[in-house]
Amino acid sequence: MNSIRGIGAIAFAGVAVLALSGCTQGSANNGSGEGEGGAVTLQFQSLSDQPATQAAVKSIVDEWNADNADIQVEIIQAGWDGAFDKLITQFTGGTAPDIIHFEASSIVSFAADGYLADLTDLVDEDLKSDISEGIWESVTQEDQIIAYPSTLQSYMAFANADLLEAAGVEIPTGDTMTWDELQEIAKATTTGDTYGLGWGLASPTATVMSLALGFDGGFFSGEGADASIEVGENELAVPERIHEMAYTDKSIQPTSLTQSGSDVLASFYGGKVAMTVQGSFQATNIANDAPEGFNWVALPPLEGSEGAVQAANPQTYSVNVDSEYVEESAEFLNFFMSGDNLAQIAYADALIPSSESARTEVEKLAADNPAWTQVLASGEGLVGPPFLKVEKYTEWKDTIATPAFQQYLADQITSEELAAQLSDGWADIAG
Amino acid sequence: MTSKRPWWGTLLMYVALAAFLFFLGFPLLWLLSASFKSTSELNSLAVNLIPADWDFSNYTTALERQNLITAAGNSLLVSIATMVITVLLSMPMAYALARLKGRLRAAGTVWILTSQVFPSILIIIPLFLVLRSINLNDTLFGLILVYVTFTLPFTLWMLQGYVAAIPTELEEAGEMDGASRVTILRTIILPLLAPGLVATAMFTFVSAWNEFFLALVLLQSPELYTLPIALRSFLGAEGQTQLGPLAAGAILATIPSLIIFSILQKKLTGGMLAGAVKG
Repeated sequence: MNSIRGIGAIAFAGVAVLALSGCTQGSANNGSGEGEGGAVTLQFQSLSDQPATQAAVKSIVDEWNADNADIQVEIIQAGWDGAFDKLITQFTGGTAPDIIHFEASSIVSFAADGYLADLTDLVDEDLKSDISEGIWESVTQEDQIIAYPSTLQSYMAFANADLLEAAGVEIPTGDTMTWDELQEIAKATTTGDTYGLGWGLASPTATVMSLALGFDGGFFSGEGADASIEVGENELAVPERIHEMAYTDKSIQPTSLTQSGSDVLASFYGGKVAMTVQGSFQATNIANDAPEGFNWVALPPLEGSEGAVQAANPQTYSVNVDSEYVEESAEFLNFFMSGDNLAQIAYADALIPSSESARTEVEKLAADNPAWTQVLASGEGLVGPPFLKVEKYTEWKDTIATPAFQQYLADQITSEELAAQLSDGWADIAG
Repeated sequence: MTSKRPWWGTLLMYVALAAFLFFLGFPLLWLLSASFKSTSELNSLAVNLIPADWDFSNYTTALERQNLITAAGNSLLVSIATMVITVLLSMPMAYALARLKGRLRAAGTVWILTSQVFPSILIIIPLFLVLRSINLNDTLFGLILVYVTFTLPFTLWMLQGYVAAIPTELEEAGEMDGASRVTILRTIILPLLAPGLVATAMFTFVSAWNEFFLALVLLQSPELYTLPIALRSFLGAEGQTQLGPLAAGAILATIPSLIIFSILQKKLTGGMLAGAVKG
């Protein structure tokens, strides 16, 4: 009988809690709109997750709000995880915020579905000329600018200088480093229990698609739903090179191929791998987290047959086409993207800013961190890749390309089979 | 006639049990250990359960950032409310399902099983639109309703199994003594069903406590985020993980669950029916 009383008590508590929950609701319609005195409030959904970046975003928004009483901006903090699902639901349900933070490759489908405002005539002219054509290309769909490109990452090699020295290898100091050099250094630094390279390729597609541009491996041609794929020698150059290093040279730590980039850092700090290829943003993490006395360097940008070219897949700020305040949103984003502001955000996130003036500003901010020189240098070769024009790229990447690359890098299929899987898979998806 | 187990048999049984317990508990131990390790130690290749230097900053970071306390309050409110409503609704329904005969029961069973085959991602947009039309999106009450909808079929299925296990002879005996249907339910069925109710309540609580996707999509105001959403914010773009604060947050997130379980598990006793009916 006591147990019944206990359950009864919990039931009562639950009903009380439920009654209370009715009093603690967020507004179901807390969207943008006109506040007191005709002031406009814009909803700005930010995905910035690093405390320093959140602080930078808040400080910029506070500054804007202080100077613009008639256009106020409200930050809605969200996270990267599940952001696509959240946004597609918001767009479909008509509750998307005015300003949307995301990334270029993921907003293509939103643009195709007509959810994003055309910003072509709203982007500040000075800002337009401050950002390279290649990067603008990455956020242009059917001749419409659908987002402001903010920060980017490149892939670069970091090295344990002591291990390179111990192997008698000279640390590359040129403007770029060829793949042959990387391969030779990896071979030279591979000894009994140390591998030359640790490369976190658990999700290999983004890395391969980006670095393939250095060999003119574009994979796709055409736009939208009509894009076609070609997987030839240029497209296979990067995966074949990695495969050769892993299985012929045996200079890549095998387990690293199944890990994320961040996972590999432990092996790098522990001296188990002499080099690691990472997103450029890791420069700051390595500077903060590496053991005391760890002697590391950022190597020059990787150069393929076509140069040190990589894919620009920037983080983006778009405006909801259904927003009543598209122009005001663009006005705020022009301010948000100014050189000083973008530099603050890029530096906090350890990413490369899209604009020239912001890069100059970051150089000053990062004067005491030599790795940033290489990080910023690697940003010079970023161009809008063909896959950003492809409507169903994300679907192909997740369902076809990633498993195919994983199988190839696990030495389970040949490069011919890889090419066939990538091509046939696209044919299935594109219909 | 019972044969006495040899001493080594008992020893073996306890060793096996201890090994099983260790197997189950090790991830939690490791999480606890990680929550007290410094970033540099977490980034090293050292595999040690006892942290080299006890670092409590992960806990302060976890509590200071991401509104973990508020999120824990939201999770607790949503989970308890979901648990109570689901149990209250499923109890009479389960009794009817278990005891009624005929087509309605068969139809009910089919409905329950059918409702289980739809993945949440398939119905999230219609659900969002329905909630929006009744002004319940981005509210905890709306999320509770959704959780009840999602957990009710399974709990109903679970509970009707418990009801079916209660011998009908006990109800018949009550009827012979002149008890009404309500009295029988209250004085005979309910006490015997207590372990089943507790198991159902536990399942519902944990389901709501751990749920991520629906909360992610349906809640838009940061002050309404539940714990899984708040914890995921320690995972950044490009696979960056703040492992220490995440581990600390996860440890803090398990405490309410542990308390609820420690309260409820005492009620979760089997064998209540032993001897209720003479064979």
